[in-house]
Amino acid sequence: MTRQGPFKKIFIANRGEIACRAIRPCRELGIRAVVGYSDCDELSLHVKLSDEAVRLGPSPASMSYLDIEAVLRAAKDSGCDAIFPGYGFLAENPDFAEAVEREGMVFIGPSARVMRILGDKVEARKALSASGVPVTPGLTDVEDAEQVIRFGDRVGWPVIIKATAGGGGKGMQKVASPYEVEEKLEAARSVAEKAFGKGTVYVEKFIEGGRHIEFQFLADRYGRVIHLGERECSIQRHHQKLVEEAPSSLLAPEVRKRMGDIVVRAMKNIGYETAGTLEFLVDRAGKFYALEVNTRIQVEHTVTEMISGFDIIRKMYKIAAGERLSLAQEDVSLRGHAIQCRINAEDPKNAFAPSFGRVSFLRQISGPFVRTESGIYQGWQVPPFYDSLLAKICAVGKDRKTAIERMRRALREYEIWGVKTTIPLLRRIMDHPDFIKGEIHTGFIEENIAGLTEYVDAEEEIFKIARFVAEVSAFGRNIHGA
Amino acid sequence: MRASLAKKGAKRFLKSVREGKEILYTNTGPRDTGQSDFKNRFTLHDMARLVPLYNETGYFSVEVHGGARFHQDLLNNKINPFEEAETWAGRMPNALTQTLIRSTNVWGYRMYPRNVVRLAVRAFLPTIDVWRCFDFLNYVPNMAPIAEEVLAGGKIFEPAISFTESPECTDAYYLRVIREIATMCGGTGGIILCIKDMAGVGSPARIRRLVDGILQKHPGLIVQYHRHATDGLAIPAMAEAAAAGAKLFDVTDDAFSRFYGHVPVRPLTRYLRELGFPVRLDMARAGEASDAVRSFIRNYEKFESQYKGFSHDVTEHRMPGGAFPSSFEQAEKGGFLELMPDILKGMAFGNRIIKYFDVTPGSQITWTTWAGIVQRFHKEGGTLNVRKLFHVLERYFHSGERLEGLSQADENILIRLYAGATDDLKNLLLGRYGPLPFGWPKDWVYRSAFGEGWEERVKSERIESSPLARLAEDNLEKSRKSMEDELGRPPTDEEFFLYLMHPKAAVDFLKFRKDYGDTTVLPTSVWFRGLRRPGDLVSIPLSGKPHEIRLVSIGEGVGGVKHVVLSVDNIMHVFPVELPEAALARKAVRKADYAVKGDIGAPVTGTIWRIGTKDRLLKAGDRVKRGEEVMNIEVMKTENAVKSPIAGVIKEICVKVNEGVEEGQLLAVIAPDGE
Repeated sequence: MTRQGPFKKIFIANRGEIACRAIRPCRELGIRAVVGYSDCDELSLHVKLSDEAVRLGPSPASMSYLDIEAVLRAAKDSGCDAIFPGYGFLAENPDFAEAVEREGMVFIGPSARVMRILGDKVEARKALSASGVPVTPGLTDVEDAEQVIRFGDRVGWPVIIKATAGGGGKGMQKVASPYEVEEKLEAARSVAEKAFGKGTVYVEKFIEGGRHIEFQFLADRYGRVIHLGERECSIQRHHQKLVEEAPSSLLAPEVRKRMGDIVVRAMKNIGYETAGTLEFLVDRAGKFYALEVNTRIQVEHTVTEMISGFDIIRKMYKIAAGERLSLAQEDVSLRGHAIQCRINAEDPKNAFAPSFGRVSFLRQISGPFVRTESGIYQGWQVPPFYDSLLAKICAVGKDRKTAIERMRRALREYEIWGVKTTIPLLRRIMDHPDFIKGEIHTGFIEENIAGLTEYVDAEEEIFKIARFVAEVSAFGRNIHGA
Repeated sequence: MRASLAKKGAKRFLKSVREGKEILYTNTGPRDTGQSDFKNRFTLHDMARLVPLYNETGYFSVEVHGGARFHQDLLNNKINPFEEAETWAGRMPNALTQTLIRSTNVWGYRMYPRNVVRLAVRAFLPTIDVWRCFDFLNYVPNMAPIAEEVLAGGKIFEPAISFTESPECTDAYYLRVIREIATMCGGTGGIILCIKDMAGVGSPARIRRLVDGILQKHPGLIVQYHRHATDGLAIPAMAEAAAAGAKLFDVTDDAFSRFYGHVPVRPLTRYLRELGFPVRLDMARAGEASDAVRSFIRNYEKFESQYKGFSHDVTEHRMPGGAFPSSFEQAEKGGFLELMPDILKGMAFGNRIIKYFDVTPGSQITWTTWAGIVQRFHKEGGTLNVRKLFHVLERYFHSGERLEGLSQADENILIRLYAGATDDLKNLLLGRYGPLPFGWPKDWVYRSAFGEGWEERVKSERIESSPLARLAEDNLEKSRKSMEDELGRPPTDEEFFLYLMHPKAAVDFLKFRKDYGDTTVLPTSVWFRGLRRPGDLVSIPLSGKPHEIRLVSIGEGVGGVKHVVLSVDNIMHVFPVELPEAALARKAVRKADYAVKGDIGAPVTGTIWRIGTKDRLLKAGDRVKRGEEVMNIEVMKTENAVKSPIAGVIKEICVKVNEGVEEGQLLAVIAPDGE
């Protein structure tokens, strides 16, 4: 739906840190922010920060955040004129985007048509390729294992199996040899079915030691497209990003320009509107291949904001309201270096198994040139139903070294007790000589996992002693033999 | 003092002690008094208050380490013995630190091989200055490895002669033992000799004669008199020892002094000074320490002996001060406290039948033997039967210890005396601790303890040399590995040493530390009883920074859990404390034992959503390949395959589909192929 003039009320169809993040520009622009919540999120931070909150349904996402009917009703009943989907959940669901428009509201994101093309990885590969973007060798119509084996033998092992829908690394299976194809294929299909409701998968050549570079761009509906430079997201675990930075230490200015030009041209060609990201894998030889387009705001958009000075979500609100992008590419000047760390509720020592529980203590970070985007507060119970991302912290500096120093300082201050988090692992990453030198790749964590998890799960001493005092006080006597 | 010992070395340091005119003291409060009257429960928090006072009082040394405290520290006090020794050594430069080390038993309850004994000494040489060492058989070769290590390490070796009053324990006997000691130590110039009167039985005249006899033979030998106060005659006995030339005395703070420990320091000082002996002691500081003790000693009331008061009959039964309260405690727990007078009486007979010294491990052997005998006779025929036994024993001694002098009925009773002999007693009778000081007991004792075939065992098994010569050295690498397995991580050298002494207590202690941190910072009342009323608070310094824990509320205990709310550094925390009965019920969740080959545990906490695979659902009795997926756990939408580590047949599936499982929970048991 085309529309002119700013929104009055936006429905934020998400939870956690991104919902909290999305409320903030609403405040700045004088737009009322309405959020939906599931039962276990009644007391969550996004509900507290919003102007209004509407119950969506029971805790499982399929019955609340993924329930299109429930979300539409909540947005409509609360009188919203637009819906911001964030990432995950319904963010890349064209049916949802269509339904929003049908209900007379604005979907803050690209059109359903564009989403259909780019959301299906197979279609996206075709579209990008047609727009002059290089893509990895791939096998798109996967029927059986034999086909995959033939493909692997042709392009070389390993290959990687991905779900055609969805993202976030879910269900991705790296296959090192023909012997594993059968088992991995089945696993990938099963996860895809479970997580995205669609069991189709495709196969790509796996780029070993590749670096994950992505370009952020903004496009308005009047055909203006600019890019805000790249981000490097090579520090990953289980194909999910953990540390992101901008700019990449890998790209020379002329490569950056060349890639940026490709991005802008392709998006113009496709007719993209709003913010988006084009992901590339850059191999050891410096060759780059497009992986996919993310037609939504990304978790790591913050690092781009920190060096560009633009609030991307605020821009998305304005673009969706029909405003023109007032910027030209030459107005974009990127300054300094930013790093983001994802704080997940999971145990790096135990294969990143999720960890839930109550946040018994939280010390937020502050101080110069650091930023937190968080969905948690002290006393909050981490529910077992959703993504494990608790918070993100960013540090910015004049160069990478300064940014790392500030991130190190911030991670040292940040304390979350009650659940296991990635904080101790991130601290070690910031100290790792290869990371400091910028010699990173997507297998960095896997390769260094032993050293990176060689920390003591240090619970603060006073908290341990307090636990003892609690026990003795409960019984009125010391039951430890004394 | 410590600096001077380090600078001069033991020999020159002791020379200046020898040439000094003053009487010197060892304060035994933290260790032996603590053990004798308070079961070694003193907290480091309270002891730390005494450190600066002791440092200023003029003590020669303070016994801060050794004996049973080492074990108690790990078991109940949750103190790391290394940290404790460091606390004393580091903050008390004006007095020496002292330990009590048993010859072959060191600080534990078994005989340790030479390599462990040497390791023990080396582990504490940096923090312990004076090493008092004894052997309950006065068998000097048993002390040799300790003597060598201490002397080589530049610290003071203080061999002790175990003392008691009995016809065999003549001056000539003790002089013989001392001669052996002198030979072992290369003379008497570099040692202190301790007369260890651990029960407190020496009459003043006897002690004077003994000290005199020793100094006649070894002029210039520094003699220390260690004396428990149990019989009530300790102060005059010490005065007599001083008159005979003893130089060093064991004392305790006035407010520590009870009945089974040591003499109060200020009365002794006043008396000795009145008799004209110069004594090195700052009376005012000693008073301050006593006041400090008074302020905290009530916390330990419940650990004091069931029977209080002096006990002159100790001269008959000779139970050492250190064993008193724990024996009474065991008797109370075992429900036979009322038999104690008879048990003590029995011990008085016992030490005339099998002759050794009642000090660890001998005292434990005597105690378990006689607690067993008296209980057995009581069970069989009540008090009368016990009395009958004592009459038989009286007649036995009256008839010159000859069975022929007894009626057949009496003899039958006597033969049953050691029928329930423990392994420790049997080992003692077979010489496995070393030869007994006054010869082996009579044949009927062996007949009683070993029954049929006793002669054969005596002939083939009884030995006459030091057990150290035969004890195989511990395989340290293997022990270290098993500690690592139990602990879940490699131990440090110090941790490993704790394990060598007391394997289970050490691992339990380290696990306690992991969960609860270093609790020695807590005031004693909080350590024993916690915070009582809302608003009660405790201030704790950690790494030099102040912290505060305040009690907000204690819940009612609903559903087996009490919720305790504490404000920790101004932030409220809820601690669910599981009540003991609920903890027992919870343990019913079966945990996988990863040491068992076929046990499959849950790798993560989550929900079982499938047993088997899409193509093959599994049940008990099915055969699985190694690496085959047995079930799958869903956690936050991710699948986690649980694979069989071995090939075999599923013996048991312990969970159901859709069951929530916790990490480590037993999911299935596979019977390995070929078994």
